[in-house]
This record gives sequence, structure tokens and C-alpha cells, in this order.
Amino acid sequence: MSTRNEPTRYEGVEYRIQFLALGLAAAFGLLCFQCWNLQVIQYEAINQQAENNQVRPIALPSNRGTIYGRGDVILADNRACTDIVFTPGECTDDAGQSRVDEVIVKLADLLDLSDEALREKVEASGHPFEQIVIKQEVTEADRIRIQEHAFALPGADTVVKPQRRYLHGETGGQLLGYLGLISPKELETWGEENDYDQNDWVGKGGLERMYESSLRSFDGSAMVTQHAWGSAQLRTSQHGNIVVASHDTGGHLMQELEGLRKDPIPGQPLYTTLDIDLQKYCEQLLKGIEGAIVVLEADTGGVLALASSPSNFDPTIFISPSRSSERVALMKQKPSPMRNRCYQENSAPGSTYKIMLATAALEEGIIDKNTTFFCGGSFKLPNVNRPWGCHGRHGQTDIVNAIAYSCDVFFYNVGYKMGIERMHDWGVKMGLGVNTGLDLPGEEAGIMPNAAWKAQYFKDKDRSEQIWYDGETLNSSIGQGYVTTTPLQCAVMQACVLNGGKLVVPHLARDEFQIPIELNLKQSTLDLVMQGMRKCITDPNRGTGRHIMPSPLKFVGKTGTAQIASKQFTKDMEDDEIPYNMRDDAWFIASVLDVEPRVSVCIFFKHGLHGGTGAGPYGKKVLEYFYGREDNAPVVLAQEGQH
Amino acid sequence: MMAKIKTKKPSPVVRIVDWRNLTRMDWFMPIIVLILAIIGWVTLYSATEIQYESYFVTRQMAAFGIGVLIAALILCTDYRFVVALAPIMYLAILVMLYATLSADAIKGSSRWLNLGPVSIQPSELSKFVMVYVLAWYFNFVGDRIKKLPFVILTFVIAGPPILLILGQPDLGTAVCLIPLTGIMLFLAGSRIWHLVFLVLAGIVVLLPFVYFQIHDFDPNPKLRSTMIEAAGPYDLKYHQKKRIHSFLFADEGDNDGDYQQIQSTIAVGSGGLKGKGFQQGTQTRLSYLPYHYTDFIFAHYAEERGFVGCAILMCLYAALLLRGLMFARECPDMMGTQLAVGVIVILTYHSVINIAINIDLLPVTGLPLPFMSWGRTFYLTTMACIGILLSVPMRKNAFVY
Repeated sequence: MSTRNEPTRYEGVEYRIQFLALGLAAAFGLLCFQCWNLQVIQYEAINQQAENNQVRPIALPSNRGTIYGRGDVILADNRACTDIVFTPGECTDDAGQSRVDEVIVKLADLLDLSDEALREKVEASGHPFEQIVIKQEVTEADRIRIQEHAFALPGADTVVKPQRRYLHGETGGQLLGYLGLISPKELETWGEENDYDQNDWVGKGGLERMYESSLRSFDGSAMVTQHAWGSAQLRTSQHGNIVVASHDTGGHLMQELEGLRKDPIPGQPLYTTLDIDLQKYCEQLLKGIEGAIVVLEADTGGVLALASSPSNFDPTIFISPSRSSERVALMKQKPSPMRNRCYQENSAPGSTYKIMLATAALEEGIIDKNTTFFCGGSFKLPNVNRPWGCHGRHGQTDIVNAIAYSCDVFFYNVGYKMGIERMHDWGVKMGLGVNTGLDLPGEEAGIMPNAAWKAQYFKDKDRSEQIWYDGETLNSSIGQGYVTTTPLQCAVMQACVLNGGKLVVPHLARDEFQIPIELNLKQSTLDLVMQGMRKCITDPNRGTGRHIMPSPLKFVGKTGTAQIASKQFTKDMEDDEIPYNMRDDAWFIASVLDVEPRVSVCIFFKHGLHGGTGAGPYGKKVLEYFYGREDNAPVVLAQEGQH
Repeated sequence: MMAKIKTKKPSPVVRIVDWRNLTRMDWFMPIIVLILAIIGWVTLYSATEIQYESYFVTRQMAAFGIGVLIAALILCTDYRFVVALAPIMYLAILVMLYATLSADAIKGSSRWLNLGPVSIQPSELSKFVMVYVLAWYFNFVGDRIKKLPFVILTFVIAGPPILLILGQPDLGTAVCLIPLTGIMLFLAGSRIWHLVFLVLAGIVVLLPFVYFQIHDFDPNPKLRSTMIEAAGPYDLKYHQKKRIHSFLFADEGDNDGDYQQIQSTIAVGSGGLKGKGFQQGTQTRLSYLPYHYTDFIFAHYAEERGFVGCAILMCLYAALLLRGLMFARECPDMMGTQLAVGVIVILTYHSVINIAINIDLLPVTGLPLPFMSWGRTFYLTTMACIGILLSVPMRKNAFVY
């Protein structure tokens, strides 16, 4: 190794090194240029992105609108629902030593929980600074106890959030509806324009759904610095104020940014006409049977009660996390308690339908008060061999007796003379087989048949018999055949003849009152119908509603017995021998005259056998309860009786 | 007359390690290194203090201390002696890389080789070894490098370690060796058209490879298994393909490869002209910037110091590297020139590519930034590089005698 014979460098190596130096300088030049581009030229846009990274809103919960019943009784409001939470990372003494073990024992003791379960829960949590909910929806006593011992319980906090409270439990549950987390489909269809996000709770049924837009509240927000890992948490101070918790789930210290808080906007209150005591009474009456009771204010259409059975569901179970098993059981129950038979189930109205037909025939001039038809027990169409039977032999019958005795032959005659088209038109006019306009979701219309309806109906089913037969007109005349209505529609019809011929729109929300449609019925018509309905109760021998007498109240009413199974099958059986599913449906529509306020009641008793004996007593009880209550007493007798 | 006779003869003793070299050391480069190191510590402290206090900085400073000793040792050692050992080093590194690769098969992917008390990263070591090996080779070949077979032989030598490192897989290092070989070959005096031909050949080979890897790539595969497994040993893995794909086609969505680069771009851009100040960078403080004290520390620095700081930092790097090139130019012998340029290629590669990734010019691959990123092995590598650079002018002085 000698220093003397080094291999000398070749010519031009210096140029190559200079070339490399040039390349190096160019590379750093390019980097500098890109830095200039990002940091100076694009600074505004990129800095905005950085700021968006930093500050995020955290939602502050707010109260949903209160729902009031008749007399401003609160039906649904919000309570402060307190959760006790525990943050292990904050559970230290002054020197920073963990006190988790000791505090868990104390907490378990104070909250009446098991040590083991609580310890497991705390150990299972992902991050020491994540709030672990150790007891949900605690009582006020629990909350106070925790706050009293706060000095000895580092890491334990209370979080208060408003929760819907249904004060009457199962009573009226179907009408109030319930809340649920917004579904992806709802979010897609109307979530965006109404400013919902995926964590919002919305009304899923009943009034909660119908008046979602006014009941809903808008969450406020507090601005907090948001870390990439970890999200801010809320807690409640000793004074009940909502504040941002000291650490987020990632353990970063949190602070609310001053002056950027957006206050929550509570929901609008909803005032309804629902009489919760009456509703409760009606629901108790229906215990154990399948049926529905509708009570309407006859003059305004205000709904006083819409009781249905079964209806054993408390809307609270849908919002309470601890009651999911009840929810599952409820969904499986048959027949479903979620459906209100008052307006979501339609069936043949039977003879209650005759009130409409009598009114229509008198108005159309087909009959008058002197018209009689002979009832010999059956009615025969020309050219048809089959007789249409009546449930008795009523002899020469006029309109008043026909209503009172519910004579089928009289109404076969009337219906045959009137024809199905006019019958259909009047039915629709008096609110049968069409939506009443009730302000609850999911109302069913029922069917008011005519020739066009039948043609379409059978065409849809690909069946050939698309012609309307006269026999079907006869079936329709007594509320059988294709005719189906809801109990609510029958109550509206009853209100119409009671209030002087005005078709009311039933409603629950007081603000939804609509001026009833004046049908311009003749006073003579109404008087005759009322006489018939009064005689139905008072005729001690043959009045179909005679079973509800005696009573101090001046009842009017009409019974209905809708045939379910063929009479051929059941004619030789005693009532209690008939299989349950083949028993006739019992209907009763009733009112009391000469009192204020006038109400119309419709009782629907599925498989109740007879309108008079099955449904009638319920109508009596409901009305006697309504007029006999202290807040309605004394019964105001109107000066002019209505006949 | 007497004076003429009494002329001092040069000492026949050749010292392998000569501590007197320290007194003849270049002064400009150590100052720049010290400034860069201080900037690095301050930046690392700012990036880690909140979470880890001074844990990283003290260890990084210790690494610097050890690095200074290593650099001094290299500086004082005659590089010709080290270069003479290159063939042995070459064989040793091949054995180590192979051992790492076979150990991988047992323990899963790892770049570390466990040698009793110490663990080393053979791929990290291979960078130097290749500098020495190529310097030895070009010195050995001399003028004959103008002939094509010797050019090709260069790649026959460089090929095995590259393939072994690719197999680990450590793409960043493997790719580093390619420009290293190419530039040292260029400097050795090979014919320009040979090099042009090689570059074209490389492109011709590489383009179809990338094309076949990417053309049927589905950024959102239905089977999760395809996201983990590479099809063959030399196929790109899912995340690599995804990074290339999202870089080439600007994929929509928040995939992983994008997330890091989006956040680093935001960090750099939001720094603005003057920066947000010490520990005021929200991207780091709120943990939006991943790897903010290793591969993405430049973005952290840029957020705090702004364009002014970036420009200063890049000037320092450029000054350091250009000073190194100056040594290379002034070095009278070919071996020293080659060593200096090889080392500069390694340092330039790490600093330029790392910064380019940070500012969204290249797709993400894991590479540390000299003097800034946390990582002691790489810090020692960097300091060793500085030592080699500083040792080059020592030989120039030797000719003065």
C-alpha cells in the first residue's frame, strides 16, 4: 500500500460531479417549490382543512314537546334520566395513585350492585378515559347519594339526558305512539331536508309520528377540540347543568370553546282532546275481549277515547334500554296490540249501517214517515229463488219501527228501490268506507261497494264475475256483503245524525279542528231517525237495544250484529256452543239526548254474538261513566229536546 | 547544501488509524451537522414531549454521541484499508441478508437479525457495504469500465443483495441501492450511452411489471384475504399496490395510504409562511398526523416552522450534501471520490424522497429523514456516512507530504 502509485482520476470526472451537484440542487429546488405551493399558494384552503380537523360540535340534548290531554292533563313529557358513569382514568388520589378498587366497592354498595359485576364491567372497557355507564336510569335518591359522596368517589359522574316519559303507561299507548331511532330509510327519504342525523330519535307511530315535525326538538351543540382518536363526553354538574367532561374517550383533556355554544331548541307542546280517564275506563272495559270503543264529541269531532283491545303496550318500553325483552314479546304477540281496532281494522258494520240507509232513503224521498213494508220473515227478489231472511216477523213496519226492531226486510225493500249507486254515494257522504281524516297514521278506509268497485276488485283478482247483482245490493242494505267500516266511521255517522247533519272530522290535536261539513239534511229526516233510535232503547218488548234499560239517561242507539259464519251452520247451536271464530260481531252506536256535551259512542265487540246484549251494555257503561263523573255533573239538560 | 541533504523523508510507516486526522478535519460540515442535529432534537422534543416527555430526545441525543464516536473512528481510519476489506464485507452481508430472510420464514416479517447480545438490521448495513464494495470494484476495474461486460458485471454484483432485501421485503432500502449503483457507475467513467441504454432497459423491464401488478387492481376488494397476501414472493402487497394506485389515479375515499398523506399535506400546508410555532401544530397535538415523530416528522416540522423553516432546513441539507460533493471533486484519487459520492447518494436519497413523500410528491413508503426522524440505527448510519465523507479530504492532505 503505497501513497505513490494512486490510480489517478480520469479526465472529465469533475464535470460528472458537477452534473450530480446540479441534479441535487434541482431536487431540493423542486421540494422548495412544492413547499411554497402548499404553504403559501394553497395556504388558505389547507389551513381551513386543518381547522375543520380541530373543532367539532358535540350535541347537547333537548326536550321533545309535551303532549297534553283533555283538561291539560299531561300525557307524555320528558324526565331527566340520570345515568351513573365511571371513568377509571380519573379515579386517582392527589398523588395520582389509582383508587379504582376501593371506589368500585363503595359504588357497588351505594348503588346496590354486585362488586364482581361492576369490576368486570370496568375491566372490560377499552380505554381508561371512556365513561362506563354503571347504572342506567337511576332514581333521584341514587343520584343524590352519589353526589353527596362525590368527594369519596373520584371518577364517578352523573350524566343527565332527557327521556320521554309516558305518564299513563299502557293507557292510550297506541294513540301516543312511541319513539325509535331513525331508520336508514327514513333518514334517506326525509331526514336530510328536515335536518335529522342518524342518532336522532323520531316518532314511530301514533301522535308521536303524526306531529313529529312540531314535537321534535333540536339538539344544541357545544364546540370542543376534537382529537383524532377519542370523542368528547358530557356530564352533569352538581347544579344540573350539562358540561363537557374533563377527558374525552381517548384520555385527552377537554375544554369547551367559549362563546360557541348553541342552545337546544325544545319541541312544541301538543294539546289533544283525548280524555285519558275515559280512555282508561274504556280500556278496562275491554280487558279480556277483542274489541274497540270510540267516543267522539258529536259537535266538533274531537276524539275523547279510542280504546282498543288488546292494547297492552306501554310506549316506554321502546325507549328504555333495559326492556328489550318486553319489546320482542310485544312484537310476537297475536293479535297485535300495536293495531288500534278503532281505525285500523274494518269489518262488516251489520245493522248499524241502517242509520245511514234510513237517512239516505228519507232524504231521497224513497220513503216517508208513512211508508210501510210488510215483513213476513223474508224478502224475495223477482226471478231469484233464494229468499233473503229477517231475524223475525215484524208485520207492517214503518221507518221508526224498522230502526227500532232492526227489520231487515224493510231495508231490503229500501235498498232495492234505491239501488247500489245511490247507496254508495250516501254512504261515502256520511263517512262510511272512506278515511275520516283522523290525525293518526295508518287509518284504514274500509269498503263502500258499488258496481265500479266490484268490477275493479274482481278484475284485479282475475275473476270473471264482474257484474253487480241485485242480491248484492240487498246484502249491502243491511251492512253485510262487501261493506266494511271501521268503528270510528260508525261513530262519525252517529255524530252526524245527532248533531243535525254535520259530518265531523275526528281529530286528536285540538288545533286540527275542522269545521264540520254541512250535509243539509231535513229536520224531519233527523227526527224520524232519532225517534227510531230512541225506540230501539225504550221499546221494552222488541227494541233491539232494550237490554240497556233502565237508565236515568235518555239513550238513543242502534245495534248491529254482523254475521260471520253461515247461519246454516250455526242455527241449531246455543250461543255458547258456537266456536269463537264463527260468532257474530257485535256493534252498538249510542248517544244520550238532552245533555251537554253531546257525544257519540261506537262499540265494536269482535265475536260478541249480539249487538244488543253483547255490545249494548258496554255502550251504556261508557256513557253512564262519562256523564256520571264528577267533572261532568250535574248533567245539563238542554232546554229543547231533540227528537 | 546540508539543508538539501537533510530533507525529511516521508515516513515509510502507513498508519491505518491516525488520530491526527482530527486536527485536519473540515470545519464547515461538522457545524452544519450540529445545526441539523439541534433542529432535529428540538423538533423531536416538540413532537413527543406531550405524550412521552423527554424519552425520545434523550435517547436520540445519546445516539448522536455514539454516532460522533463512530464518525471520528471512521474519519481517522484510512479508507483504503476499509475498501480493501470490501470483498469480505460483501460475502458477510450476503450471508446476513440470507439469514434474515430465512429467519423471516419462521418468525414472520422482520428486518432484524439477532446476533446474541445485539440485533442489527442487515439491510441498513448493506447500504454502506455496497458503497465500499462498488468503490473497490470500480477501483479494481479502472479504465475497463468503459467496456460493456464490466458495466453489466456491476449489476451482477449489486443484484444479489438487492433481491435479498426486496425479499424481506424492504422496498425503501432496495430501491435506494439502484440509484447508488447507477450513480457510482456513472462516476466511474462508464460511457454515457451505456448508461442511457441501461436506464431504458430498466424502464422496459419495470413498466410491464408495474402494469401487470396494477392493471387489474381493485382498490376495494370483496375478499379480505386478498388484502393481506401477496400473490408471489416478488409481487407487490396489497397496501403497496393501493398506494401506487391511489397515487396514480387519485382514488376517492379515505383509504389508509391516502389518510397519512392527506394529513401530512394538511400539516405542511397549514404551517403557512411562518408556521404555527413550537408545539402549536394542531395536526400533531390532536394526533391527526400519523408517524409524526418518525417518517412524517418533516410535516410536523413544516407545520410548526412554516415555509421559512422548510427553506432553511432544505438549505442546510443542500449545503451538507454539496459540501460532500466538493470533497469528492477535490479528492485526487478515484476511490475517495467514489466513496464520497456513494455516501451522498444514500443521504440524498433519504432526505429528498422522505420530504417528497411528506409533501405529496411521491407515494408513501417508509423512509426516515436524516437527523430528524426518531430511530437510533438510522441515526448511527447517518453519522457513519458523515464520518466517511469527512475522511475523504484526509487523503488529499496526505499528498501534501
